[in-house]
Amino acid sequence: MAWISLEKAKKLEERFGYPKVSEGKGVVSVEVPKDKFIEFLTFLKEDPEYQFKMFIDLTIIDHGEKENPRFQGVVILFSPKNQERIIVKTWAENETLPTLTNLWKGAKWAEREAWDMFGIKFEGHENLVRMLLWETYPYHPLRKDFPLEGIKDTELPSLNESLRGENLEGLFNYDRMHTALPTMEDLEITQKKRMPVKTSQIVLNWGPLHPGTHGTIWFLFDLDGEYVKQCDIIIGQLHRGVEKLGENVNWQQFIPYTDRMDYIAAINENHAYVLAAEKMLGIEVPEKAKWIRTMMAELSRINSHLLWLGTYALDLGALTMFLYTFREREKIMDIIEGITGARFTINYFRIGGVFADLPYGALDAIEHLIKDLPQRINDYETLLTRNRIWLSRNKDVCIITEEDVYQYGLTGAVARGSGVPYDVRKIDKYDAYGEVEFDIPVGEKGDSYDRYLVRMEEMRQSIRIIAQCVAKLRKMSKNDPYFFQTPDEKKLKVTIDGRGMKLPAGETYASSDNPRGELGFYIYNKKDGLKAHRMRIRSGAFYNLQVFTKAIIGRPIADAITLLSTIDPVVGETDR
Amino acid sequence: MGIKKVGAKPQTLVEKIFFLDFIKGLKTTIKHLWKKVITVDFPYEVVTPPARFRGIHGLRTVDGTENPEFDSWVKRLKIKPPEPGETRCIACKFCQAACPVPELFDIQSEKLDVPEDHPHYGLKVMTVFNMDLSKCTFCGLCTQACPTDCIIMTDIYDLSSYTRKSWVLDKDVLTQIANDFVARRGKEKFDEKSAWREDQKLWPEYDKTREKLWDFNMPRLGPNYQEQTA
Ligand code: SF4
Ligand code: SF4
Repeated sequence: MAWISLEKAKKLEERFGYPKVSEGKGVVSVEVPKDKFIEFLTFLKEDPEYQFKMFIDLTIIDHGEKENPRFQGVVILFSPKNQERIIVKTWAENETLPTLTNLWKGAKWAEREAWDMFGIKFEGHENLVRMLLWETYPYHPLRKDFPLEGIKDTELPSLNESLRGENLEGLFNYDRMHTALPTMEDLEITQKKRMPVKTSQIVLNWGPLHPGTHGTIWFLFDLDGEYVKQCDIIIGQLHRGVEKLGENVNWQQFIPYTDRMDYIAAINENHAYVLAAEKMLGIEVPEKAKWIRTMMAELSRINSHLLWLGTYALDLGALTMFLYTFREREKIMDIIEGITGARFTINYFRIGGVFADLPYGALDAIEHLIKDLPQRINDYETLLTRNRIWLSRNKDVCIITEEDVYQYGLTGAVARGSGVPYDVRKIDKYDAYGEVEFDIPVGEKGDSYDRYLVRMEEMRQSIRIIAQCVAKLRKMSKNDPYFFQTPDEKKLKVTIDGRGMKLPAGETYASSDNPRGELGFYIYNKKDGLKAHRMRIRSGAFYNLQVFTKAIIGRPIADAITLLSTIDPVVGETDR
Repeated sequence: MGIKKVGAKPQTLVEKIFFLDFIKGLKTTIKHLWKKVITVDFPYEVVTPPARFRGIHGLRTVDGTENPEFDSWVKRLKIKPPEPGETRCIACKFCQAACPVPELFDIQSEKLDVPEDHPHYGLKVMTVFNMDLSKCTFCGLCTQACPTDCIIMTDIYDLSSYTRKSWVLDKDVLTQIANDFVARRGKEKFDEKSAWREDQKLWPEYDKTREKLWDFNMPRLGPNYQEQTA
């Protein structure tokens, strides 16, 4: 199941002596001493037998103040040759770790995030500044001794009701004291530190509140005339500490928070999380729930791609597209609203299935929709694909190579556009994906045009999957369960509302193929618990956005819009 | 493993010279010229939300459609047996326990002040039920946790107001909302035992505004599964 086998990992143990192999919940992890860390990772990356050359994620676990050493580094790698993953861990003694940026460039942002959130120094990192928070922020919020509500050290009376003045009596009012907020000076310092050496005449700021950035992203372009010489991105304006929340709410209660990460494809976010939690519990959800979930996830993918197509074309000047795609999107939203009760923050999936069966008529509406949709997609393509303006703005623009995909851990349509058929749906075969037929579209060159074509084809493939799901669901009975039934309430409690649900001790990583790349959840539990000890969210959009800083170098500034649109990040997910 | 190559298709000379790409595009645009308007003119027109819609909460009252366990829950929590028209809430706080933002609830109950020989001696009633909906994520977990089907979600979605204070709804307002909703659309959503109806429709078919956003080409709703009936 897409993880290195225990025997194969044991071979590593025999070969080097120092690695300690352990098995998590459906994952295999190897612990190595800190001084052998880089050596071991280099071996894994370069050895022809293993070839773990794709970087997936890097994070830290805080084991609590009392432990010594307290912090542990966790690296997840993928081998495209063997189609398997591995977890490598090491203890961060003295709160430092050697940098991985010489092996994988994609580790740059991950290490900055680890420094920001845990205060772990990475020796040899070229510019270890904060990732999501501003430079002068004094704390490291994902440490276990940092309280969930933050440290309230700033007075901010404006949050209180002005009508009632200073009068704070009664319920549900706001405290005058607030957690720290950045001032203009703080932001200036942050900006200076991000790009310490200016190479050209002018640094152009784009964002954070520009409609073309699709959210609150702040770009810095070091410009030589029209051409970008250096680029950095300041994100974090939408950072809400979802990982911290995940460590402080119960298991089912975390699902609404995942809705609010990638709000364009909330269903897929729910999906990745419930898969991870189910893997942790070691349960198998009922057949019907699997098919419903697969169908909903693909509907959501089309929904998300339609929004992407509309705004992308809008940014490049084709206004009509936006109106056409939103017409179809409205229908999908309408179906989703009817099935789940919400249009945007859906919260339909549960650990153990879904919270309700499909309402009467749902399958008919979906069938009606997918009968119509291929024709509509053809319409969009007639407007764009061969259009000469479209071609000249997209072809050969901002090429992302196959090597970049492995170096930066790119996933989703960005990886596939560069010719890497990396698709978690095929690798992990979660839910019903093992049983449905679909193709992975891949590009040839890795330019913006390929990424466009890949997403268009993905929509068609999604329609194919949905049709198979509908046909399968039609054969089922209305009495088939849609939620996991526990064989023994005392041993294993799984409830729809999540009260009293415990997950066992251990670690796991599970991911789903989100419209924006691989969204993974790494869960680490010290002991059986109502809450996670560590909830790491591997955001596809975060890693995909990182390649922007490379692919834009040497390109004219107008290509920034094209590149950003074809990478298609959602700020809710990059910032978490 | 199915891999499908997509790649650039260069423009042919004929396409380039005769501007075929533009002509084809214009054809699509012109086709839409004679189509009817599909945007809904909110707020003069509204689409009726589906039965499952997760809008503002309400607290249901006792009306003879309680679930079979209702009486035993009342007994177990030592609540004064409610008369018809009184709230179903037994102040068990399950809704709060299931909520991702528990601090938005303020639920309190009090012992009745009655003499010792009164049949209600020692029993409690729910006295305070405040919800600060500005903190609510509208996830619906509270409604799934409620053992008496008291807390429900209605189809009301406009919660805007000038002050934060007015997002806090108390038990009277919540009860009023639920009573209105149940009178209006209760039959569509709940069965005789207050559970969700098995044949809840995807959306209300009497709503004609929805046709607009479906291009005046609505799907006909039928059963999902073989043995299902309307
Ligand atoms: S809908 Fe969700 S967030 Fe709102 S009160 Fe209910 S459980 Fe809490
Ligand atoms: S769960 Fe239902 S009965 Fe219990 S306190 Fe909440 S609303 Fe009242």
